[in-house]
Amino acid sequence: MAAATTGASTEPPQALEGIKVVELPCLDTMPFLAASMAAKSFADFGAEAVKVEPPRIGAQERRLGPFRDEIPDPETGGLHLFLNTNKLGVTLDFAKPRGRELLFKLLESADILFNPNMPALNERLGIGWRELTRRFPKLIVVSITFFGTDSPYRDLRGGDLIATQMSVVGWETPWHQVTDLAKHPPLKMGGRQSDYLTGYGAAGSALAALFHRKQTGAGQHVDVSQWLSMVSNMRPAIGMYSHESKTAPGYLRFDVRRKGGAQWVYPCADGWVSLSVATERFWQGAKRALGHPEWMDSEMFKTPPDRLAHLDAIEAAFMDWLSTQTRQQAFEKNQGEHVPCFPVYSPAEVADNEQYRARGFFVEHDHLAAREVKMPGAPCKFSRTPWRIKRGAPRLGEHNRKIFVERLGLSERDVAQLSEERIV
Amino acid sequence: MGKLPLEGIRIADFGWIFAVPHATAWLGALGAEVIRVETIVAPDIIRFLTGTDGVVGPNRSGVFHGINTSRRSVALNLARPEAQEIARRLIKKSDIVTENFTVGNMKKYGLGYDDLVKIKPDIIMLSGTPLGQTGPSARTVGWGPTTQAFAGLCHITGYPGSDPCGIGGTWPDFAIGTGMVFFILAALHYRERTGHGQYLDLAMAEMVTTMLPEAMMEVFLNGRDPGPIGNRDDSMAPHGVYPVTGDDQWAAIACASDEEFGALCEVLRVPSMAADPNYAKLTARLANVDMLDAEVAARTRNFARDELVAKLRERGLAAGAVYSLHDLMSDQAFIDSPMMVNLRHGEVGERVVPGIPASFSAMELNYFGAPTIGEHTDDVLSGLLGYSAEEIAKLREANVLT
Repeated sequence: MAAATTGASTEPPQALEGIKVVELPCLDTMPFLAASMAAKSFADFGAEAVKVEPPRIGAQERRLGPFRDEIPDPETGGLHLFLNTNKLGVTLDFAKPRGRELLFKLLESADILFNPNMPALNERLGIGWRELTRRFPKLIVVSITFFGTDSPYRDLRGGDLIATQMSVVGWETPWHQVTDLAKHPPLKMGGRQSDYLTGYGAAGSALAALFHRKQTGAGQHVDVSQWLSMVSNMRPAIGMYSHESKTAPGYLRFDVRRKGGAQWVYPCADGWVSLSVATERFWQGAKRALGHPEWMDSEMFKTPPDRLAHLDAIEAAFMDWLSTQTRQQAFEKNQGEHVPCFPVYSPAEVADNEQYRARGFFVEHDHLAAREVKMPGAPCKFSRTPWRIKRGAPRLGEHNRKIFVERLGLSERDVAQLSEERIV
Repeated sequence: MGKLPLEGIRIADFGWIFAVPHATAWLGALGAEVIRVETIVAPDIIRFLTGTDGVVGPNRSGVFHGINTSRRSVALNLARPEAQEIARRLIKKSDIVTENFTVGNMKKYGLGYDDLVKIKPDIIMLSGTPLGQTGPSARTVGWGPTTQAFAGLCHITGYPGSDPCGIGGTWPDFAIGTGMVFFILAALHYRERTGHGQYLDLAMAEMVTTMLPEAMMEVFLNGRDPGPIGNRDDSMAPHGVYPVTGDDQWAAIACASDEEFGALCEVLRVPSMAADPNYAKLTARLANVDMLDAEVAARTRNFARDELVAKLRERGLAAGAVYSLHDLMSDQAFIDSPMMVNLRHGEVGERVVPGIPASFSAMELNYFGAPTIGEHTDDVLSGLLGYSAEEIAKLREANVLT
């Protein structure tokens, strides 16, 4: 455990101190890390988050890579180390009646529960949201499920791929490199973006319910769906659809970029850059950045609609110019004229980037099992109550004693007995 | 249905484009009074992105209406000192300020955090920028889709071995807006406990990088730079998008266990494949994934999309149709979801627009349609800020309220 900064009194306060969160493991075979991200968000800003894991095998992220030297180890996997910072870890089989009883004891003093399991399973285990909100009227029960607990799809399984591809985000990706429909199927983003988006949304929703409780004294059920969370990316397109119903029945994947031509990635002399000249201001800026080339004054490109109509020609001309520029040159020249342009960096380049370094984004701490660990840090810099790592990710069952004995009042013997019965 | 959690909280919202307006859509739905400050002199380009029934205009944009729910609009030309003074009076009566201008712009208007704490000591201010307020590259411009290139996501998005790909859904703007909701509420929770406000400096690129633990931890643990793997997953196979009958139609299928693979083989009418040593176990499927994907695709081609998806779901598999916008808008479960709300808009009337993707058992969310530009200028100036009708007329004449 142990961080460089364990509880020193000179440390600044944290925003969510005093809030108690319990996170249940996803028992599905489908990896689903949204609840883990939600509880991490609370823990990293100072809340107490108790992560409940299945005995012996632990939470899903312990079994998922990346692992150091590709040797699977539930204590040192990268996802576990990242997602479980600042959490207390207990093991508990709440499918068994005695285990469920202990879970209920834990929930008596909790403010928020994140449960990433499907509604039918929860009901079978006696932990459906109706049962929990009835039993614990002050508890905020956050269901984080593939499709929501109230949808006709409530019993369908999902996950990152399905949520992405059923949300239209997959349909629109890649944004502009589809030249052969069969060879370029709709694409999901790298990593598990919909899990993490859903996790951030669940965290915000839980805090909203906590404000409601401050006014009313009552907890409630919060229903967060991975599918709808991904669909929220399409709010502009859905708005467009309902306003242009006669003219916008959908679009072909070849034509996605013609919606606005706003977001391009293009090859340059030493890699790729992103570039947008979608607005008049950006177009004028790019003129200056490129040194007023003659082609940009062509009648073909006079107004934004003209430019949209001649997207292919613009694309080709910019690529000509970019082929003479390094990423850094294109970045500096365009940004110097307030044109959105960024290098496409690989994760290794991000890890070594000067801007991230100057802001102290990546953080390092000692971890008993994993030695020194470096990882992404604060998603947002708070001036008074900063994000920080007080404790590295827990070993499996590391805080069983602290929670079951010191908090819930079980005897050491009880815990040993439960451990023998594989409940703890 | 009870009271809303953010009733009594006022937000002076200087945000535009996508990320901040999405965040304030959440906060408005949760009961906060969101006052959007904007000007036709330098308008949000979203107000001109698409129109209604073929006619474009600042108050006709379906894209704008799809995002800017649950807020009022005050027109203030912030280039004018008089407008800056009105903004300060508004902020003095607000709890939260949100903005996503280029670094330094709010300061230029006398509305930087340092200026604001002088008039409202416990103000909470959130600034969203591409790379943050500090550091050598702080003064960059860009919205999410261009910025995510800097953050590593573009590099790992693509087909196996392919070039980096641009991403749809204006990713990551809405993910960032979603995160902002949590950060703002965390700061508000702290203020309620202690009386202290604070400044939140959000760098879009950094937040994107917090969502790339798979790739970043590979770098930090093994020094290896991961490339794109298409629709695949390191821990599952098959895991992808497969062709079905029809033009550019696809089904997404994710098999998370050997048993699920067995069920897939039965649905595809090749039960023998489940026992084939090349595929029976996950490790074998991952090792032979090119061959496996080709074999699965050769069979899915014979099925109609919805029929295949239904059969797979019946067997408990994770499967879904790959949706175009039209497909999504034809999905009855989506149309009926609490996320779709019918709201009235000043110039175009009632339209169904999307709200936020969360529902609450004890609260009815506060939805109303996006405002026309400056729709509430007079209300806010006279009702909230105490300007007289004469003063307002004078300010309007001087082109301050445009």
